Parts: sequence; C-alpha cells; structure tokens
Amino acid sequence: MDLSTLLILFIGISAGVLVGLLGIGGGVVLVPAMVHLLHMDQHAAQGTSLFVLLPPIGLGAFLEYRRRGNVDLRAGILCATGMLMGGYLGGLIAVPMPSTRLTRCFGVLLMVSAGLLWRTTSKLTPPAPPLISPEGQA
Amino acid sequence: MRRTIGFLLAGVVGGISSGMFGIGGGIVIVPIFGLLLAFDQHKAQGTSLVALIPPTGLLAVMAYAKAGYVSWFTGALLIPGLFLGGILGAKLAKRIEPRQMRRVFAVLLFLLGAWQTFGVWRH
Repeated sequence: MDLSTLLILFIGISAGVLVGLLGIGGGVVLVPAMVHLLHMDQHAAQGTSLFVLLPPIGLGAFLEYRRRGNVDLRAGILCATGMLMGGYLGGLIAVPMPSTRLTRCFGVLLMVSAGLLWRTTSKLTPPAPPLISPEGQA
Repeated sequence: MRRTIGFLLAGVVGGISSGMFGIGGGIVIVPIFGLLLAFDQHKAQGTSLVALIPPTGLLAVMAYAKAGYVSWFTGALLIPGLFLGGILGAKLAKRIEPRQMRRVFAVLLFLLGAWQTFGVWRH
C-alpha cells in the first residue's frame, strides 16, 4: 500500500467525520481536499466526488428523520426527479468550462455554503419561530 | 400544483449545483425548502435526505466520465472511509457541542472559498 493510497483513505475518513459531525454534504469537503491534497484537477475532483456520492450514504439518517415524522416523502421524490435532470444539466455546463474559472465558481459556492452553515448554527438551539406552513404540520 | 412545481424546481436548482460543482446538493436544497417553501428546519433536512438517497447524480457522473474526469480508483478508495468516518462523526457529535464546530468550520469554508475565488496564485 503506497503513500497516496493511505492519504486517500485518510481523506475519506476525515471527510466522513465532518459529515457526521456537522451534518454537511461530503462534496463541499471532498472537492477541495482532492484539489489541494491530491493535486487533482478541479474537473476530475468534481467528477470523482459525484461518483463517491452515488451510494445512498444518507439512508440511515433518513430513517431517523422518518421515525420522527420529519419527512415529506412526496416533496422529496419530486425534488429527486428535478435533481436528476438538473445534475445532468450542471455537468454539461461544467465540463467544457476552463478549470481556473470552475475553481473560482467553486470558491463562490464555498462562501455561500459557509453563510448557510453559519445560519443553521443560529437556528439550532432556539427553535425557529414557526413559519406559516401552507400544509400545516402533520 | 404550485407547490408541486416548486418541489420540482428546487430539485432542478439543487441538481444544477450538484452537477456543476460535484457536491451532494443538500446544502442548496435545505435552504430552498426552509426559506422558499416554508418547511421547518428539521422537515427541510429530512426531506432533502429523501432526495439524496436515489443516485440522482448518475447522469452528472456520466457527463463527467464521458470527458474522462472521473478517477474511479480514488473514488472507490474514498467510499469506505467516508462511510466509517460518518458513523464516527455522528457518535462524536453526541459528545461535543457541534454548534461552535459548525461556526469554526463555516469560517474555514468561507476563507477557503475566498482563496479559491480571488487567489491569483493558481497555475
């Protein structure tokens, strides 16, 4: 087993710990790790990350939410249908883009994600003021 | 009907960011459900997990693979680590207060993003 194999395994475990600990998606961590630590090209890092995210990693978490009734199955399925198509579209946009520009766009995404992540920290302890939900809370 | 279209559109937007940036899409979908479709935070997260269970990135992976942008070997090595690490992280989260950690991580993420966006050091 050579050094880079060990490094890849280590990155996988570290990214996994962050996913479980912070409840964030793996891709936001995996892509920069592959670019900076494994010196992969931005495109290759993104394609590989998408491949890694194919298996249903969130299945266990989903079951936990479902047990507590925090799942809108119909909305989720509709959303998944849209994602399948949107994902292909996104791939078509990114693949012909020059790598440097794609890296910059990814940087913007990271900053937006950071903002969203920060938002969830202020929402965690005091329960969010109840929004008026058109469906009501079942 | 309007909400049905809203759910589909949320998926399309999440999918585009997923395909464009090689991420899962949850970080985009959760806020859309929460802010635009008036789901509470828990329900938004639970519902986004539904959308992330089927291999929705399949078409995107195929688009990258066709251009030779998938390192299958690296990916295959990352999967078991990510899986085991996820369990470890979930266990750790019960012992320590994850709120501060999220904040620290958010700051790191922001700095990394700024570096990638404005850095002139690249190549």
